[in-house]
Parts: sequence; C-alpha cells; structure tokens
Amino acid sequence: MLRTFRPAIGLALGTVCALALTACGGSGDNAGDSASAAQGGASLKGQTITVYSGQHEQTVKALAADFEKRTGIKVKLRSGDEAELANQILQEGPASPADVFYAENPPALTTLEEKGLLAPVRPGTLKSVPAGDSSPKGDWAGVSARTAAFIAAEGKGADTAPPASVRDLAKPEWKGRLGIAPGETDFAPVVTRMIKTDGEDAARKWLAGLKANARTYDSNEDLSAAVNKGEVEGGVIDHYYFYRLRDEQTAARTHAKLHYFAKGDPGALIDVSGAAALKNGKHQQAAQAFLAYLDSVPAQQVIAGSESYEYPLVPGVKGKKELPELATIGTVANGAGLGDGKDALRLLQDTGLLP
Amino acid sequence: MTGLPNPAGPSPLGRWRGAGLLAPAALAIAAAVASPLVLIGVQAGEAGWEQARRLLGRPLVGDLLWNTVTLALAVTLATAVLGFGAACLVERTDLPGRRWWTTALALPLAVPEFVRGYSWVSLTSSVRGYWGAVLVMTCSLYPLVFLPVAATLRRADTAAEEVSRSLGRGPLATLCRVTLPLARPALAGGALLVSLYLLGEYGAFAMLRYTTFATAIFTEYKLGFDAASAAQLTLVLVALALLLVVLEAGTGRRGRTVRRATAGRGAAPARLGRWTPLALAALGSLTATALGVPVYALGYWLVRGSSTTLPQASVITAVLTTLGYSAAAALVATAAAVPVALYAWRRGTRLARAAEGAAYLTRALPGIAIALSVIHFVIRYAQPLYQQPPMLVAGYVVLYFPLALTAVRAALAQVPPGVEEVARSLGTRPAAVLARITLPLVLPGLGTAAAMVALTAGTELTATLLLRPTGTETLATRFWTYTSGLAYGAAAPYAALMVALSVPPVLLLTRRTLGADPRTETTR
Amino acid sequence: MSGLSVKGLRAAHGRNEILAGVDLTVEDGALACVLGPSGCGKSTLLRVIAGFHPAMAGEVALGERPLDDGRRRLPAQHRRVGYVPQDGALFPHLTVAGNIGFGVPRARRRAKVAELLALVGLDGLQDRHPHQLSGGQQQRVALARALAAEPELLLLDEPFAALDAALRTELRAEIAATLRRAGTTAVLVTHDQEEALSFADTIAVMRNGRIAQQGTPQRLYHEPDDTAVARFLGEANLIPAAITADKALTVLGPLPLTAPAEANGHGLVMLRPHQLRLSAEPGPGAIHATITDNRFRGHDHRLELRPTVPDGLPATLIAYTGTPWNATEAWVGAQGAAHPVSEPPGSAPRRPAHEPAGQAQPSRTPVPRAVNGS
Repeated sequence: MLRTFRPAIGLALGTVCALALTACGGSGDNAGDSASAAQGGASLKGQTITVYSGQHEQTVKALAADFEKRTGIKVKLRSGDEAELANQILQEGPASPADVFYAENPPALTTLEEKGLLAPVRPGTLKSVPAGDSSPKGDWAGVSARTAAFIAAEGKGADTAPPASVRDLAKPEWKGRLGIAPGETDFAPVVTRMIKTDGEDAARKWLAGLKANARTYDSNEDLSAAVNKGEVEGGVIDHYYFYRLRDEQTAARTHAKLHYFAKGDPGALIDVSGAAALKNGKHQQAAQAFLAYLDSVPAQQVIAGSESYEYPLVPGVKGKKELPELATIGTVANGAGLGDGKDALRLLQDTGLLP
Repeated sequence: MTGLPNPAGPSPLGRWRGAGLLAPAALAIAAAVASPLVLIGVQAGEAGWEQARRLLGRPLVGDLLWNTVTLALAVTLATAVLGFGAACLVERTDLPGRRWWTTALALPLAVPEFVRGYSWVSLTSSVRGYWGAVLVMTCSLYPLVFLPVAATLRRADTAAEEVSRSLGRGPLATLCRVTLPLARPALAGGALLVSLYLLGEYGAFAMLRYTTFATAIFTEYKLGFDAASAAQLTLVLVALALLLVVLEAGTGRRGRTVRRATAGRGAAPARLGRWTPLALAALGSLTATALGVPVYALGYWLVRGSSTTLPQASVITAVLTTLGYSAAAALVATAAAVPVALYAWRRGTRLARAAEGAAYLTRALPGIAIALSVIHFVIRYAQPLYQQPPMLVAGYVVLYFPLALTAVRAALAQVPPGVEEVARSLGTRPAAVLARITLPLVLPGLGTAAAMVALTAGTELTATLLLRPTGTETLATRFWTYTSGLAYGAAAPYAALMVALSVPPVLLLTRRTLGADPRTETTR
Repeated sequence: MSGLSVKGLRAAHGRNEILAGVDLTVEDGALACVLGPSGCGKSTLLRVIAGFHPAMAGEVALGERPLDDGRRRLPAQHRRVGYVPQDGALFPHLTVAGNIGFGVPRARRRAKVAELLALVGLDGLQDRHPHQLSGGQQQRVALARALAAEPELLLLDEPFAALDAALRTELRAEIAATLRRAGTTAVLVTHDQEEALSFADTIAVMRNGRIAQQGTPQRLYHEPDDTAVARFLGEANLIPAAITADKALTVLGPLPLTAPAEANGHGLVMLRPHQLRLSAEPGPGAIHATITDNRFRGHDHRLELRPTVPDGLPATLIAYTGTPWNATEAWVGAQGAAHPVSEPPGSAPRRPAHEPAGQAQPSRTPVPRAVNGS
C-alpha cells in the first residue's frame, strides 16, 4: 500500500539519504595530476585550487583576485572560522577538497601539521619571510603578523596608566576593571608564551588572577566594543581589532586607545598568521604557487594596504603608516614557541576560564 | 466482480501491509536524520573512558550543567507561561485588536538569533548573565509555545469550558482546570522544542556571556580541535534531551484528543473589563522587548554605522541564494517529515515512536556537531555531493527536521479518524488515498512545516559556513563576514534583509497554524 | 454471487485475542445485524471484513471470492466492501457531492451523485461541506458515499449511535428501505437490540469474540438458545419448569413448548413480558403478586411484580399490558408457548432461581433501552 510514498522518498533520498549512498572512493587520481603540473607555471593555468581561509575575508578575496590575475590559477575561496575550518579538514580526512589552509593563528596549523595532514612548503617560499615566522618543520609558512596589545577606555586609569606588563593584569588593583576573551584563538598564544617564559605554575597563578579580575567575553570583537562603551576599562586583544573598531565607529565615536606592552614582556607577543598546503590536495603545485604568492612582495603589499591592519612579513614591505614598527614592539613568537596550544587550553580549563 | 481466484495462478490476496514502503521509508529517514547521534557515539567511544573521566570530572562541568539546566528550566517555564497567557488573551478574551496582536506576537520568530543577541548586547550590557539570558531567550522563543497553543485553543470545542463555568467555577479556575489541560499537548510540544533548543544553543549565549554546557563543547572544537572530546561532552546533552523527549511523551500524550469545535461555534470571549489596560500593557511590553529591541538596533546600525554602504549587486545574489536554499530545505524537510509522521500516526507502535523520538534528539545537538557529522558522512559515502548544494540542504534538513515533524504531526492529529480506511473501502488505491484525502487534509500543516523550516534555515549560520558549496554566500554568511570584521554598519543591511524576508513566512505560519478565526466567520 | 461467509475467524489486537472463532453467514441481499455488548469484538469483526485489520486464522469470503484466509489478504480497496463508521468519517475538505462521488469513476460521477442524493433525500445540499450538515445528514452522506461505489457488501458500524432517538428510528427505517431497494447485502453492528430487531433479516448475537446464536429476529426473540441471548434481545421472565416431551410444567401451570423437547428434565423456560396475563380474580395456574412498579410507555404499560409466594420464581416478574392496571396487586397467569433456555456456555453454574431475571446482567440491561426506544 505504501507505494504512495515514492515521490516523497525520491525527494528525501536525493539529499537527506545521500548520506547513505555508496562511496565512490575519490582519491586515486592525484598523482598524475601533480606530476604533470610539476612542469611549471604555464601548465598550472586553468587549474582551480580550493582555499580554506580563516583570515579576514575581504583581504583574502583581494589576494585571491590578484593571484588569479597573475597566474591564471582560479581560486575557490572558502571563508569561515579558522577553528571550524580546521575541524572540517580533520573530519574530511584524506578526501578533503582543500588545497590550501590559510589560518589566523599558528595552533590550528600546528594541529594539522601534527596529524600529518600538511605538505612541506617549498623552501623558496619559506626563505622569503624571516626564518622564525614559519613552522620550524617547514609545513606552513608565515604570511602576516599581528601583535597582542592592550585596549583601554579613553581617559580611564587603564589609559592614563596602562600596564607595562601583561603580568600586572593579575594584580589585585585590576579587580573589576578588566575584560578578556579567553575563548579566542588569539588569546591562547599569550598563555602559551606565559608558560614558556614564567613556567606553568606561574602561568596558572597568573590566569587565576586574571579570572578574579576580569569579565570574560566571547570574542575580541565583543571585548573591543565593551571597552569602547566603557563597560570595562581595558583588555588584551590583537592590535587590529582596535583599528577595525575605529574604522567602523569613526574616530569621533571611538573612545578607546591602544597601548603596547613593554618590549620583551610575554604580552608583547607578535603572532603570525600562516598558510599551508594540504598533503592530500589534488593541486599540489598550484597550492605551492599560492603559498609562494602570499609571501611575495605584491601580496604583502595587498595585505599591508588592506583594512585588516596586519603587518606584512616580507622584508621591505611596510605596514600601514599608523601602525608602530613591529621591531619596536617585540619579537615574533615562532611556531615552535606556540605549539598547538594544547597546554594553554588545559591551563585555561583548569583555572576555569574555559569550560 | 469477476475476479474468482485461480487456484493455479497468483491469488488476489496480497500480503497484509507487509509490502508497504512506509515503514522502511520512515525508518530510513529517521536513521538519516539521527545519523549525527551515531557519529557522536562512535567518536565518543574513540576518545575512551580515561578522557571522559577527565572531561566530565572537572568541577566546572558540574557548574555548566547547572547553568544549562537552570536556564532551560527558567526559560521553558517562562515561555510556557507567556505563550499560554498570550494565547488565552487573544483566543479567549475580548481584548481589543486580537487579530493584530496575534501577528505581532508571532513576529519575533522573524528575527534571526544572532541578530537578536547582538542587538540586545549593543543596546545594554545589563542583559548579560543568567537573567539576561533568561530574558533574551524567553523573548525569542515564546512564539514556539504561543502559536501551537493558540491554534489548539482556536480549534478546540469550548463546551468543556462553558460546562466548567456552569458548574460554578470562575474564569480563573476554568482557565487552570479546563483550558490548561486542554492545551497541554500543544504546550508540552512547544516547551519541548524550546528546551531542546536551549540545550544545544551556543552563539546567542556567547554574546550574552552566559556559559552553558554547549560552551564546553565548543571549546573542545575551537581550541582543542578535538572532535572526540567534544563528542563525549555532547553525549551528556543527548542524555538530557532524551529525558526531555520522554517527559514530553508522558505529559503530552495524555488527553491528546481535542474535540473540535462544531461549525461556527465560537466561544463567547471572556470580558476583560477593567483588566483590559493591564492586558494591553502586558502584551505591549512583551512585543516591544521581543520585537522592538532588534528593530531598533538594526535601525541604529543602518543609520549610524559608518561602514554602511548601499547594498551592492552581490546582495541580490545573496538574497536569491538564501531564498533558494531555504525553499529547498523547507520542501525536503517537509517531504521527509511526512512518512515519519504518517508512520507514527498510523501505527502507534514503539518502533514508530522511537523513530520519532530519535529525530527529536538531534535538536539538542550543537549546530557544529551536526554540520561536522554531515561532512563526515557525505565525504565518505556520497563524495560527488560533497560541498555541492544538496549537502547544505541535507544539513538544514537534519538540523530542522524536528520542526517539520512537529508541524506535520500536529496536522495529522487533526485528521478525523477513519477517513483513510473509508476511502480505501471505496476502492481507492493507497496512493490515491494519500493524494486525495490525507495530503489535502494536512496541507495547511505542510505549509506550517515548510514555513518553519524556511524561516530557520534562511538565517542559519554555523552549518551554512561549514556545508555551503565553496563560494556560495547567503545573507547570513555575508552578515557574518562583516560582523567578524566589526563592520556592523555593512552587516546591517543583510540583517535587515533577513528580517524582512522572514516576515512573510511568519505571517504564513501564523495564518496556517491558527487557521481562520472562527469569531470572524460567525459574524458573516 | 452470494453473500458473506465468515468461518472460524480469529483476530487479535497485539496479544489480546478479540475474535475467538467467529462463524457468520449472510445471504445475498440480506440485512444482517451483529448484536453485542461493547467490547464483544463486533467492531473488530467489521474491520476484518472491511480489510482494515488482519485475521489470524479462519476465512472471510464474499461469494466465491476469498477476502482473507489468515495468511493472505485482499487489500481493502479491492474488496468492494463499503464501510460506514460510527461518526460517518466524511472527508472534511470535500463537499457533499465530492464525498458521495469519491469512489465513482469520473465519467459516471455526476449522474451517480444525483441519483444518490435523491435516494438519501439530500437534494440541493450537494455543495455543502460536512461541517455545514446536521448529524443525520452527515450519516446519510456517509451512506450515500458507500452506496455510490456499488459495494457487494456494506458494513455499518453503529451508524446511528450518535443520533437522537427520533432521528435514529426514522433514519434506520429509511436506510433499511434504501438498502433493500438497492439489493445490497449489509452487516450492521449495534449494541441496541431494538435497532437490531427492526433493521435486520438475520441477527447474530455476539459474545466474548464468538457468535452465540444467529437467526431471524423473530426466532432470536422468541426462541433464544440461552438465558443471556434471551435477556439481550429484550426483557425476559425465566421460570423454572419441569420439561416433558411437549409441555413445560411451571407454577403458572402447564405451558406448551415452542418446539418439542429432546429430553425430559428440569430447566428454565422463557416467557416474554407480554406473555404474562394479569387479572383481578384468581384463575387456573395464576399466582398472586404485588405490583412494585408501574410505568406508562405510550403504547403499553410495563409492570414489575413480586410473587407473594416465591415458589422458585424470580423475585421480580415483568409484564407488559395494553390496558391500564391501577390496582396494587394482581393474579398473574401465562399464555402462549414457553421456550426452554439453557445457561450460556462458560457461565457460572445455575443461579439461584430467585434472582431477578431482568437485572441479572446490569451491563447489558435492556430496560432503559426498551423505555427509551419505544
């Protein structure tokens, strides 16, 4: 009697039950592809690479467009949250359509590197940025940098007497005046750096102090907006959130200032944003070409000029004029220094800053 | 009739129902929809006991569970009270402008969750924390209770209430002892959706700075990149959801039959008298908080945000994409819900109820868990569809199947018993019975289901980002792109468009769910 | 073709056996009535015949056509068995015409609908929707809808139960006439003995999932097999008697038997209330009794009497009389043939004879029905 349901099932099967269809095991044919692509740039023309990007979307779009114009390689850009994209790549396994993963922070890249999902970056690409800015193993390349900084509500104590060290924020005088966004992928590197410099016990105490002093926010965007509204006096963010906030609110409605921690302080952290080629990608050569492009002068100029307010890494390319020189802020925390962030996560969970 | 059986040839007697496709179809759909549960179970197993003990042994987990459960209790209770109260006011009293109020009360459904969260936070920081979360979630979720309860009250025979009055019970006692039990199935169903939603919700709470159990799950995904640990934590939510589903089955099933009002028979509405201003003020403040705040915040960003630009051409693509996907999701989810609901309706067996229950459980899963599970299955077993449009539609279907199922189930409950059998006894084949009797009768319910799914799918973000074909932009992803760059002004037109596009489905939903107002019919 | 035959039919809801071997035969064109108390399985019987419920064992056939043999079933839509449920189950989204024409091929639909509208007396209502009809009209549409498909067999599941008494009587008569005119074989299920008696050519009394007795209304009324059937079809006075070949010897004197007895012995005989005669004077075979209740019912009077000397008689005797009886006592005699009845199988051993006959089984007490239905 239930022949009736065929139309409905047909519809449902088409998509819902597609999950149950037989696999058509799709990873057999990359070898030949990459071999022929190895001949040189000319044969890459017309190929399409898929880039999973957790970076500032408008900037990456501009980069992809420029890359397409220069090489003839098409870019399918998949923008999303870097952590979600990393999870997606992990879930996809060897069949992942991604050729390139462009992350905001090293831990996501390091995690994929540890799982053996990344292909080595061409030495030429690695050489075009300072050695410490890329993965020590050479599986991902640094592209741009951002610094940890202290955003303070204009005129408040945090602004007139900003903390010289991120360590100070755990002191009792900051009680009730601070905001932090411990769930941000940008915050964990600061914690990792604290563990490296001061040891785990000190870092744990420091986090406990922060927890006692600060309100927690979900994201740096929320935290920046809260400081701007005077909800809290200040908080640790990546520097560019301040500039993006200022662009949106206009200078007149921006009631916050940005301060940097003293050079050499764990808070004076320069964190790189990097990119990698996926080992199982079907367009290895084209992916490497994209990485090489990211660390080329034209791409770095695009980054420097974009509204993402990040620092270019290639020597000779200047960042936005209003940004202080990177060298005046501190030293770059390289991939080896930041690891996959698991220690920081454990500490954040232990102290109850994160669930 | 000439069909004498030929002893040698095939007998005219067919096997009893056995050859039917309904059961396999319903079970297959339920299995597909519940597949994320399977994956989560498997992944949780991979992580092992040791990790489970570490994860769940942390004192913070207890706090988070407490946060989740107390919030779910408070919001469910508040939505039940508000939803039921508002439904009684518009359906059972002489409140001025009832028709207008009905629409206004349903409209908060048109405001996407992240827009609402953001609008509250940008307006005042005092909504943060427990009471803020209760307030904001109640404001956004009460229509899920209001609509089904109002529909039940409108359809139900008022005789029982009149008898109660004639037995000397006052209006209030009648409300508690007769009207409330009458609306209990609808109330329980709505409350179930609300509480399941609260279990898995992350984004809105993140903005409100309220940590729930879902926060812990997201931490494992976002900072630990650890799907297995996340799966272990998710199982806790599944257990909670199971408890809720069982609870609803217990309270909702009793007294499930509601006598339908005979033609043209509307109750004489209770006179509010001097309570009228109070009732108006209550509904006014409810709609002002639930609807006014997001509208104000959107307006603010549209006008004041310096990055507000005139929407470019891409906005049209985004609108069309959003419409296309939400329509496809609505159609498929509704079509998929029909066999499952029909199976459970025709056969009240334990298996049928289990299939239905399993479909509900997924509602409590965080969106990211569902999206990752769809990725997992599609890339392994349906690779050609990977990151193709059907995959995103499938993701929406898995996410919002419970909404469609609830609506179709409610519609089937209104079908008079026996009509299918009578139709078959008139010589009509089952396919024709479905086409000529059952589907026409549940058509309004199918409309409700489709509108509900379209509404939610059109504003979905987490799964959209993970499942969309590369390069596809919906209004929600555009909104996300700009807000994550702090460009609220640029994001505002997209949010406004999402709200505007959501209004027609909400109006449709209201009309469909409630049907014609019997009181207006009688005046003709 | 020839009517319905049901043999050894068993059916269950889950583990609960509802039909425990039903045998029923309905002649072609006959109106049959399955009469039984609620829960006896009569609705399930109809649903098995209609094809909505599977049989576990046994056989259902319509003429030469098997419908269900316990293993394989003909799907409901191929049976040509019409079905009118208790509430009519009209299709709420279709008009009266749409409902009636539902099972009719499109080409003949118009004519057929018109014909049936006339047959059930609903001319002019074809464009109404079910919710715009009264209960009686809805039932007529349900009947017309079933008849329009020209079924070989029509099943009616207590179709009059929801109607008021006057409408019920009227509609019942109309429908019986309609069915006879159409020559349709029909099975009506009811728990109302008056409905059964006035409607059917043959009545099957159903009890505990079995047919206790089947026969013409007259036969079942006057010659029930056992005390339960006797009571179910109307009020009965069950009187102890010594039975000989052609006579029952009772305290009311020797009475002729409805049929020659197979064996001599002691037992019960049934006398219907109208077989009791009241007189002011003592006479042969008359006993003295006090009147405990006296009710005027329009066409007759119903009296309850308590025999002055119990003498093995029931504590209460019931008599119907056409003339008013105003005295408080009377001499009671009997006329007509007495019918020997046995105890139903499976019932408790013989009850003490003084138990009031009319009230032996309150759940199926016919008294209010009788009052109500007349």
